[in-house]
Amino acid sequence: MITFDGVTKRYPDGTVAVDSLNLDIPDGKIMVLVGPSGCGKTTTLRMINRLVEPSAGRVLLDGRDVADANPSRLRRGIGYVIQQTGLFPHRTVEDNIATVPMLTGRKKADARARARELMELVGLDPPTMARRYPHQLSGGQQQRVGVARALAADPPVLLMDEPFSAVDPIVRAALQDELIGLQARLHKTVVLVTHDVEEAIKVGDLVAVFRPGGRLAQVDSPERLLGAPADDYVRDFVGFDRGIRRLSFFRAVSLDLATDSVLPAATTLADAITVGKRAGEPWLLVVGGDRKPLGWAAVADLESGPPDATLAGADLAPVGHTFRPEADSLRAALDATLLSRTERAVGVDDGGQVLGTTSYERLRDAIRAAEEAADRAADPVGGGR
Amino acid sequence: MSFLTFAWDWLKSPQQWQGPDGIPSRVLQHLAYSGLSLLIATLIAVPLGLLIGHYGRGGFAVVNVTNIWRAIPTLGLLILVVVLLGLGVLAWLIPLVALAIPPILVNTYEGVAGVDPELKDAARGMGMTSWQVLWKVEVPVAVPLIMLGLRTGAIFVVATATIAAEIGVGGLGRYIIDGLASNNYGEVAGGAAVIVVLALLIQLVFTGLRRLVVPTGLRLQARSSR
Ligand SMILES: Nc1ncnc2c1ncn2[C@@H]1O[C@H](COP(=O)(O)OP(=O)(O)OP(=O)(O)O)[C@@H](O)[C@H]1O
Ligand SMILES: [Mg+2]
Repeated sequence: MITFDGVTKRYPDGTVAVDSLNLDIPDGKIMVLVGPSGCGKTTTLRMINRLVEPSAGRVLLDGRDVADANPSRLRRGIGYVIQQTGLFPHRTVEDNIATVPMLTGRKKADARARARELMELVGLDPPTMARRYPHQLSGGQQQRVGVARALAADPPVLLMDEPFSAVDPIVRAALQDELIGLQARLHKTVVLVTHDVEEAIKVGDLVAVFRPGGRLAQVDSPERLLGAPADDYVRDFVGFDRGIRRLSFFRAVSLDLATDSVLPAATTLADAITVGKRAGEPWLLVVGGDRKPLGWAAVADLESGPPDATLAGADLAPVGHTFRPEADSLRAALDATLLSRTERAVGVDDGGQVLGTTSYERLRDAIRAAEEAADRAADPVGGGR
Repeated sequence: MSFLTFAWDWLKSPQQWQGPDGIPSRVLQHLAYSGLSLLIATLIAVPLGLLIGHYGRGGFAVVNVTNIWRAIPTLGLLILVVVLLGLGVLAWLIPLVALAIPPILVNTYEGVAGVDPELKDAARGMGMTSWQVLWKVEVPVAVPLIMLGLRTGAIFVVATATIAAEIGVGGLGRYIIDGLASNNYGEVAGGAAVIVVLALLIQLVFTGLRRLVVPTGLRLQARSSR
């Protein structure tokens, strides 16, 4: 547990970077500090490992004031990852990663063996990468080395200052996923600084939103931040699309899928037209004997064919996007629906068999219901900390 | 006749290559003076440059003072030292050391001060002490510039150690002084040629040394970014 207790940082030039901060960072969670440039995120982070000393207040690590610790010893027990990686250009990848174990007196061979373990952990192939130098790696690989180096001494706490902002969006997304995966195994107490709300919501268990002047605006789970912003500042900061992003936290299992417009390929065109008209559906999903989707039949087109032919011979539009209601979010269902030509997406089970289909109306109902349920769950607790 | 033919005629005569006044023993003398001066300059300038670069205080002063320092004519300093201290070892040592200090000091300082702040921050953040940051990060990263300073200092010293002859000490400068005194242009040209060759050799030696002491990662990085 990391506790900021009335912490203020005033730099010698008079800038107040952090103003009376009270914040608890629970063990084993990812706490993201987010806010516009200059709002004191980095300063806050660096007060944890004493790269910056508070002007007032205390920073406690497991109940002990970090100001009482020997700075070097304190830092060796806290992983530290920075944006431009800060990898040592004169050391190989494995020796970079072995830095802290070597500082703490482990034998070189021992520390290198540990370094190779960590390379595997962050997805770097030791035989090909261990003896390379940092400049011989891609940006994404360098960031992985940075993370491995921070983890080498197995510290309980990991501080990350914009660790993924120097890489392109695709690599960034991959690194974020890897961090989430790593954390599921390692359960570190992670404090991550970013100015990207999207990233905060994706990787954070808790998100602390800062406002200019180094004051805290809101600390909450990502769901609640999107669902119940504490004030207009937070509302604006999390963005006008917060409604859509919030859908990532609602499971698609609540979606009422249409099943009467799903027909086997053996159905005759005449029967299919009847079903389509009765259901008021312009599109029918055709499935094979294994209940896997074959494609969409347009009811209007079927009328020109011989009535006793079956759907098996009809012209079908592609299935489009599928999603799994059990595992995916409403956001995924919405995306799948928006991106499909028929304005309908196919819900399938783990075996790929059709469960039913979506429509805009069904999505709208599910989203309303989920938002209302979430707001009801949120309200009695009251906003903020 | 040109400079080169004067020099060549003088150089090819066998008598220049033997005895206490021969080229080999003069070269050794010259190298001994130069080496000692460079060693002392290094012992003063490298630690000073490292400390000033590491603590980041007084860097401005280093650059300014050395710029003024460089403007002092070495020969003038030699005469001043002789006037003040008389003839002796110090008379040639002090000007040569003074000559070698600025390039070594400035390059060492700039090498350390110029280390990427992110690197220093990462090193500190990982729990290196101030001293460890200096030795494990700043010095290795600054080695290429430190070596450049040493090479420049060495070449200055080798080229200027000729002044030792001014005050009656040996070295290659003697050929020039004696040659001028006796209107023997062959000797002047030959002596100058030997000094030039020596300076080129020193350059080569430092290129080799650089390969030995610059960390592999930095060497590969410099090559790949070229
Ligand atoms: N060493 C310093 N001396 C004086 N002022 C500083 C110093 N470091 C930071 N500041 C100021 O303190 C404020 C907070 O800086 P900080 O680096 O913590 O912001 P940040 O939220 O991390 O911003 P960014 O997103 O741009 O990294 C800024 O106004 C900054 O200019
Ligand atoms: Mg910052």
